[in-house]
Amino acid sequence: MTRNFVYVSILASAAALTYSLAANDFIPVSVTVALLGIAWIVLFMRGLHRFSGLAFSIFIIISLASLWADVSSWLALAGVIFSLLAWDLTKFSQRLQNTNSPQDARRAERAHFSRLTLVIDLSLAGYFAATRIHVTLTFGAAALLALLGIWGISALVYRLRSHE
Amino acid sequence: MSRITLLAALIYLIILAGVGTLNGAMVALALPLVLYLLAGLWRGPEELHLSAERTISAERVAPGDSVVIELKVTNHGEALEQVLLHDPLPAFLSVVEGASSRLVNLPAHGSISWSYTIQGKRGSHYFENIQAIAEDRLGLMTKRALLPTRGQLLILPSISRVRHIPIQPRQTRVYSGVIPAHQGGTGIEFFGLREYQAGDSPHHINWRVSARQDNVIYSNEYEQERVADVGIVLDGRRKVNEFGGRRSIFEDSVLASVAVASSLLAEGNRVGLFIYGKRNKWTSPGYGKYQRERIMQDLALAETGETQNFNSLIIPRRLFPPNSQIILISPLSGGDVSLLMQLRARGYQLLVISPDPVSFESRGLGDSPSVKLATRIARLQREVLLRELRHTGVQVINWDVARPFEQAVRSALSRPTAFLHAIQRGVGKQ
Repeated sequence: MTRNFVYVSILASAAALTYSLAANDFIPVSVTVALLGIAWIVLFMRGLHRFSGLAFSIFIIISLASLWADVSSWLALAGVIFSLLAWDLTKFSQRLQNTNSPQDARRAERAHFSRLTLVIDLSLAGYFAATRIHVTLTFGAAALLALLGIWGISALVYRLRSHE
Repeated sequence: MSRITLLAALIYLIILAGVGTLNGAMVALALPLVLYLLAGLWRGPEELHLSAERTISAERVAPGDSVVIELKVTNHGEALEQVLLHDPLPAFLSVVEGASSRLVNLPAHGSISWSYTIQGKRGSHYFENIQAIAEDRLGLMTKRALLPTRGQLLILPSISRVRHIPIQPRQTRVYSGVIPAHQGGTGIEFFGLREYQAGDSPHHINWRVSARQDNVIYSNEYEQERVADVGIVLDGRRKVNEFGGRRSIFEDSVLASVAVASSLLAEGNRVGLFIYGKRNKWTSPGYGKYQRERIMQDLALAETGETQNFNSLIIPRRLFPPNSQIILISPLSGGDVSLLMQLRARGYQLLVISPDPVSFESRGLGDSPSVKLATRIARLQREVLLRELRHTGVQVINWDVARPFEQAVRSALSRPTAFLHAIQRGVGKQ
């Protein structure tokens, strides 16, 4: 099941970005994105999981670029969320291969998908709220907020890394 | 790059890009990634305080027998949402039922027990520590631990039974057995005639011969049967035992060693074993079931080694005096003839049981004309080698391992060859 979800996620991410770019007349870029999606699927099928991080990063950058090019923000979000799912599930499928107990694998899949559903639901809700709430900030205030955000993320990452 | 670092880098990129373009929607794209990071932090694994116990249903089994491994892992610390418990299996063991790795949820101060069934090949297999890898649900944080629990499984060689191996060493021991001692006395087989002596049983008087002589009565003499010293030498040289495609004839040599040792010990002989392979190991000679057990254990550990020739093969005279029986179990190579001739010259009675490497290897090479030609050449070379050995007075059993060992022994040794009779009577003495 996890492997199928990886395929679906890659397809959905590539389709959302391809469609959004094509709808805004960025045809060559949309074709490139579609080809990248196919390449990601082929790499996954061949078991070259180490490239999933690179593919994920490329799709995030494309999502950012497409948003900068004034495509639908929801399609850009879909690109981010589905590429995140594909990257996460690729790693999860590797973890499942380490167990040779089908019952354990099914139980772990259920727990993992419930956690992912929670993350996606909260992301959608947060994004919806972010697009509805309009706050006008000066560049200085925005930069200060960005620094605050970066500091918060750095603290979170430090905490996570120190636990390893 | 670790997953956390990659996520953090992408989040920084999104935030900086959003601030740089003053696009709030772009900054909001970082939300799924930030929430994903937070979800990893939430209920991530703390320090691992685990212990493990292992129970093995049997410590000594035959190949193909199933062994149940029971494992119990106890968590003495905080709850672990997802922990992979992996019991690394030694090489040549495989799981036939159940799972050696579990991906489970371990509650605080809880435990989990499970079992799995394995089968394996001959050898001594050591179980190592259990590996525990605890992760959060999203696999961002990882804690690893090794849970000390050990175990050992000894898989003994397969047993092929041979009823009797008719060896005829020149020298026997004093105890009665089943090996002809070349001395007259009490026994079953007719040995010769001698003049009647007081106390001889009337049943033993040879009336036919006595009737032809005047005033002399002759009694039949029978051949004494005793036990003998037998040294089994198992050749574990890699170059003669292993072939392309990781195929090895060594298992058949081990099987022959077990059969020969069991048969000779069952008949009361004093049997020793020398394994000439990865480690040269002598099992000092002994009698009975205890000795059989020692030999089986040593054969269970026998492995092929890089030794190229028999230069370091020295038969200790203290253990096996000249004139005792040596049984060499080896596929043989061309350079072995000189060593075997030396052993013969020292007075040892030699029996070579040679699993046929030509038939063994040709079976795995297909049926092409070039293979047929190569097989024919190799077979001719082997035939020359075996003939050379036979001419030096070595008894040779060329065993095609596709046939049962007992059948091969029976057909080769059921009737002693003519040259053996000659050797025993001193005609062919060297």
